[in-house]
Amino acid sequence: SIDMLMPSEKEEDPDVIPEDSSLLTLQIRKKALERREETIIVDRACRQETLTYEMESHAAGRRPDNTTDLIEEGELLLTLNIFYPVIFQKHKDQKPYQTVLLLGSQKLTELRDSISCVSDLQIGGEFSSQPDQAPEHISKDLYKSAFFYFEGIFYNDRRYPECRDLSRTIIEWSESHDRGYENLQSVKMEDYVFNDLAIKIGFPYLYCHQGDCEHIIIITDIRLIHNDDCLDRNLYPLLVKKHWLCTRKCFVCKMYTARYAT
Amino acid sequence: VSGVPGLKEDCEELLGAFLQADTVRFERFAELWRERRFHTVFYGRMRALQRNKLTKKTLDLAQQYFLPPYSFQIRVGALYLLYGLFNAQLCQPKQKIRIALKDWPEVQKFQQDLLDSEHYDAAYILRRMRLARAFHFTAMPKLLTYRTKKKIEENHFKEEFRDPCSRVNDLISNDVLEELMNIHDHYQKMKCVISADKSQPDKSLSLIKDDFVVNLKDITLEHQEWQQNRVKLLQSVKETDNTENKKKEETLLKSEGSERASALARIKYRSYSAAVEVSKSRRHRQVQLESSESGPSCGKSPSRSKKASRRPQPLELRRRGEMQVAKEITTQHIGMPIITEEDSDE
Repeated sequence: SIDMLMPSEKEEDPDVIPEDSSLLTLQIRKKALERREETIIVDRACRQETLTYEMESHAAGRRPDNTTDLIEEGELLLTLNIFYPVIFQKHKDQKPYQTVLLLGSQKLTELRDSISCVSDLQIGGEFSSQPDQAPEHISKDLYKSAFFYFEGIFYNDRRYPECRDLSRTIIEWSESHDRGYENLQSVKMEDYVFNDLAIKIGFPYLYCHQGDCEHIIIITDIRLIHNDDCLDRNLYPLLVKKHWLCTRKCFVCKMYTARYAT
Repeated sequence: VSGVPGLKEDCEELLGAFLQADTVRFERFAELWRERRFHTVFYGRMRALQRNKLTKKTLDLAQQYFLPPYSFQIRVGALYLLYGLFNAQLCQPKQKIRIALKDWPEVQKFQQDLLDSEHYDAAYILRRMRLARAFHFTAMPKLLTYRTKKKIEENHFKEEFRDPCSRVNDLISNDVLEELMNIHDHYQKMKCVISADKSQPDKSLSLIKDDFVVNLKDITLEHQEWQQNRVKLLQSVKETDNTENKKKEETLLKSEGSERASALARIKYRSYSAAVEVSKSRRHRQVQLESSESGPSCGKSPSRSKKASRRPQPLELRRRGEMQVAKEITTQHIGMPIITEEDSDE
């Protein structure tokens, strides 16, 4: 009984703001656009904007090839911000982070595997005589232990025999004197999925790996999965936002990013 | 980050016009929408990323009007507004409307109300939106962003859009009164049973006022009437074109409620702004009040200006500070004589 009475019938160009608009929003926007046209010579999307947009929308609407990988209704979608571990003064107001989308039924280990941190790629040792030699092993293979800390419980990665319980030190420390932290527990990461956890939105949690590389994790949003989201289970955890690292071009070849800076 | 400039005013204007029209029919709303050509609110040359952000913020703003404590008509207007904005948006795929889990039962109750009061057009619109999968069901209403805001913006939505504050009514509702009546009767009967004279309670047992429930009911009714009269008076005052009288009457109405509030503020201000002089041996550590003035060059001192000296304040500054403090308070609430609302003073 009710039709769409809204849109006008004639063809309108949505890029052009109508002259006689009574809406305050449009008047302000028109002024801003005019100012922009005067000051900016070439108006096109810069690399950062393209990257952000592409990352946000590249997976939207994707369907899996295999129907067993289809996400069902009622699945939860979490949005996590994983902050970089560096501490610089310039990060006082805004710390750089990556945003990852996760399903509620995914295990903590899958999140752990998907976090890419530069400290995992480090190689220990003295290599100045052969700087271009491919490294035999990177830290990620050597030091496999990691833990998450959510709500007073440490979830340790125990899949491999080399993994140690990094949180043991912390638990012993808190139990040694009465420091006011009530029972901190330590459990295995691979037994838990995100649906089992009780978490607070906006509260900072911790991910620690390599013994001392700590990332803050904040969960920003929990919502039900939607038809327009990516429904391919294999693509999750999905990276939707990555911090843009300022890189410099090599001054010699002017093609690639610099590897060594002197 | 920051809101869309001008959008709040436009939405409030549209909803205000809808309120004035005093109907909940969709046709009326559509007329108002077409008059203002509201679908152009998304126009303007911008690239996809910015358009997505803008649409998200627009829908978020409109969604806030959809939930309580706004009055029923405003909520229906917000529903239509959401429908219009959702369909008029230019993003592909469409941006969705976020509804928090805690708000969802209220939305369902709202739908039930619409069906009960036979506003079938509004109920149909809501159903259409659900079928078109316009909603994201989230845990929290606002999507968190992580930038330090320079100042926390508080959304002061128009007071007229809210239902008149019925806190007294919520507390002393009909059910509560009925129960009180029952308990009161029961109590009286018990007293009769245990006293010597079976028809009347003992004089020594009369510890409460017998007609207290009736009095309570009368008082709440009085309060309700007073509230309604107040609102009507304010509205009629706002509508008259006579600006001088309007200001006088408005201040009269407002001052009625805020006299006590401003008196309190004055006392507090006086006590907090006098600094205690420390003994001479600690001269290097005299207490100094912070001053928000930057010297004689600034024209109008900001409100709550304090003097950075240890002497008792000169009379002019104090009075100026007082007036500004009082003004600050009067503009914040319509004012109730005895019960002060939470968002007024502190």
